[in-house]
Amino acid sequence: MTDRIVITGIGIISPIGTGKENFWQNLLAGANGFRPITLFDTVRYRTKLAAEITDFNPKIYLGSKGLRYFDRVSLLITSAAKLAVQDGNLEGIYQPDDVGAVIGSTFGSINSISSFDLEALREGPNYVSPMDFPNTVLNAPAARVAIQFEMKGLNSTISNAETSSLDAMQYAADFLRLNRVKALLVGGAYALTPDTYWGFYESKALSGSVEGDEEICAPFDSLHNGIILGEGAAVMSVETESFAKNRGAHIYGQISGYGNVFNPNPESDDSEWINAGRRAIKQALDEANLKPEDISLILSGANSSPKMDRVQTEIIKEVFGPVASEIPVSALKAQTGECLDATGAFQTVAALMAINSGQLPPIVKGKGSAEIKHVLITGSSFTGNSSALIISAPA
Amino acid sequence: MTKRVVITGLGAVTPIGSGKDEFWQALLHGKSGVSEVTRFDTTQYVRHRACEVKEFDFAPYAKASDRAIGKGSQLAIAAASQALEDAKLNLDSIDPYRIGVSVGTTAGEIQILEDANVVRHRDGEDAIDPNIFRQHPVNNIPSNVGIHLGLKGPNMIIPTACAAGNYAIGYACDLIRLGRVDYMLAGGSDPFSKVAFTGFCRLGAVAPDICQPFDKNRKGMMVGEGAGVILLESLDSAIARGVEPYAEVIGYGLSCDGYHMTTPHPDGVGVIAAMKKALQDAGITPEDVQYISAHGTGTPANDKAEVTAIKTVMGGHAKRVMISSIKSMIGHTMGAASALEAIACALAVKNNLVPPTINFEEADPECDIDCVPNQAREAQVNIALNNAYAFGGNNSCLVIRKL
Repeated sequence: MTDRIVITGIGIISPIGTGKENFWQNLLAGANGFRPITLFDTVRYRTKLAAEITDFNPKIYLGSKGLRYFDRVSLLITSAAKLAVQDGNLEGIYQPDDVGAVIGSTFGSINSISSFDLEALREGPNYVSPMDFPNTVLNAPAARVAIQFEMKGLNSTISNAETSSLDAMQYAADFLRLNRVKALLVGGAYALTPDTYWGFYESKALSGSVEGDEEICAPFDSLHNGIILGEGAAVMSVETESFAKNRGAHIYGQISGYGNVFNPNPESDDSEWINAGRRAIKQALDEANLKPEDISLILSGANSSPKMDRVQTEIIKEVFGPVASEIPVSALKAQTGECLDATGAFQTVAALMAINSGQLPPIVKGKGSAEIKHVLITGSSFTGNSSALIISAPA
Repeated sequence: MTKRVVITGLGAVTPIGSGKDEFWQALLHGKSGVSEVTRFDTTQYVRHRACEVKEFDFAPYAKASDRAIGKGSQLAIAAASQALEDAKLNLDSIDPYRIGVSVGTTAGEIQILEDANVVRHRDGEDAIDPNIFRQHPVNNIPSNVGIHLGLKGPNMIIPTACAAGNYAIGYACDLIRLGRVDYMLAGGSDPFSKVAFTGFCRLGAVAPDICQPFDKNRKGMMVGEGAGVILLESLDSAIARGVEPYAEVIGYGLSCDGYHMTTPHPDGVGVIAAMKKALQDAGITPEDVQYISAHGTGTPANDKAEVTAIKTVMGGHAKRVMISSIKSMIGHTMGAASALEAIACALAVKNNLVPPTINFEEADPECDIDCVPNQAREAQVNIALNNAYAFGGNNSCLVIRKL
């Protein structure tokens, strides 16, 4: 239980760049990934934008063999995993039983499920391809990673929607703390799909879905009127400090605290949601043995939904009290969009890059401190989960 | 000092009965849950039978405040409510932040998507009620349990397909051991899935009439549905509350084949690794085990490979250990399967009774084990292993011990 849990490799495929450096430089430069959707037809919608990844070529990372049956979310996560394995210098150094993967994925498989089902309706159940069946299980993306990199120690999937990859981090960290494995690839992925887009559109969650509203992603801004969806995947290699040090790995940072609280009244007024978010941060601070003023940067889960932004603001005010206006707050969904299961993993990558570069991503408020030591990441799902993760500089 | 984790409440909604007593009696009597599929027309299919939950009525569990929810959530809420009542845990008397939910599933609220697709296919996209989409994402299941019961602790869904129940229970035990929570409602839920039925039919994995694990003439699995949820707490907590636990979870093991999406590793290396890790985690030897609740789907390949793996792990003891598959009775309830099987294990060690493998007619030389054929058996059971495997090469084994 005493071994620290550290992060040693980063792989990211995002709407604002592939690879940690591209992603980070574009984040710093304030670039965004919003563009008219090309993956599916939006003619029936008032809204047209998403942070779609247009230059994604999985063959660069995975070769061309055997990719035929991968769906988009599996291609994204497996490609990001490849980048993480390379960046973490994990290739060829592990015993398969000592490593594994924990992936956050909820919405990304829906296209494969729905296509399989519709194909059976259209062509008859005896004509749908059995080769398309495996993609209908929600653990398919994680399983693809395990097969690709021959990781046999653990393979698990967390489907907690917007908080998936934050929750996956703690799930993985607990596995490592209990000495069950030595290293895990941990992350999350979402691929834009017509059915989820439709669902978010019809529930009026998308920016611009109400007539008269501008289609804009502007967390904490008075113009905010809903989310713009984005997609992508980020994977990190997470290990026990002893394993990392023994193999001479570069340590980007450590997982120092986590908290999760469920709000069983998600449709009531904001107060219970705020309370859940506040307690989740409190749990994370307690686990990390930190005080609110020790936090150097907050990477908020604010996503341009007025309710989410309002709640995230109140949570920060309640936790940080008088220092709330001092600590820099960044909402990277302003640039990547709401990437659902990938969001927490993107935030975690940003936290590690901030710690390692000493630079702050674009911030909406607060001012920078001299040194970035502890980064707080927050996320909430519309179904009730609030999670908080603290990433700290290497010990 | 890690905490000992015990099972104090059982909840089951299954094709052969609802509630732990009805479920257990049906298991002991070898009741079969197989019948003609009612959820959709199977005329065009090569197979027509499955294990559906008949006459499931959510009304006794429903609250006026419940939102419109899918069947996966309804099954899970019913099983969770049963488990709480069985454990005599009064939610008003405990800190709501110290009780969480951990659920496994294969397909979650897939019936919502399937129903939408029927409308889409017949009448076009615009005919679909768009409001149903918010009920579809799989995290609705633990979320709806949390909302229904007012629970504020960790709320997780682990969709590791047909082994998901064991994954969810294992992680729930970890959360208690690590002191992160005091109580967890853990298990699995899967409503009957047309996508699964179609896919398994296309893989040639579904039996025509009955499920016959370990039989020489076994012809495949039966797609099932249901939910199993158990209440977990520390032994100290159970003692303090004055409740008698059913059993203790003393360890578990997970592994991944890392080999193929649907085909298990031919040498069963992952399955063997999961069992070995489980024994190691529990600090026991193969000889300590009296009963194994097999994954036992009834497909020719699974049962043969599983027996080979059990022999590898158990050595000479494999001949003496009782190994049955309750899938012969309830079918393959997907993400709920290993949760329901964990309940069977808990009741087996509690009562020294072992549920049978029904439909056993002819011994298979490649499955030369004691599969407790056709009749439940009275026998001393101190430790039971609960095996479950899944698509993606996910393997799991849970260790349950008599207190």
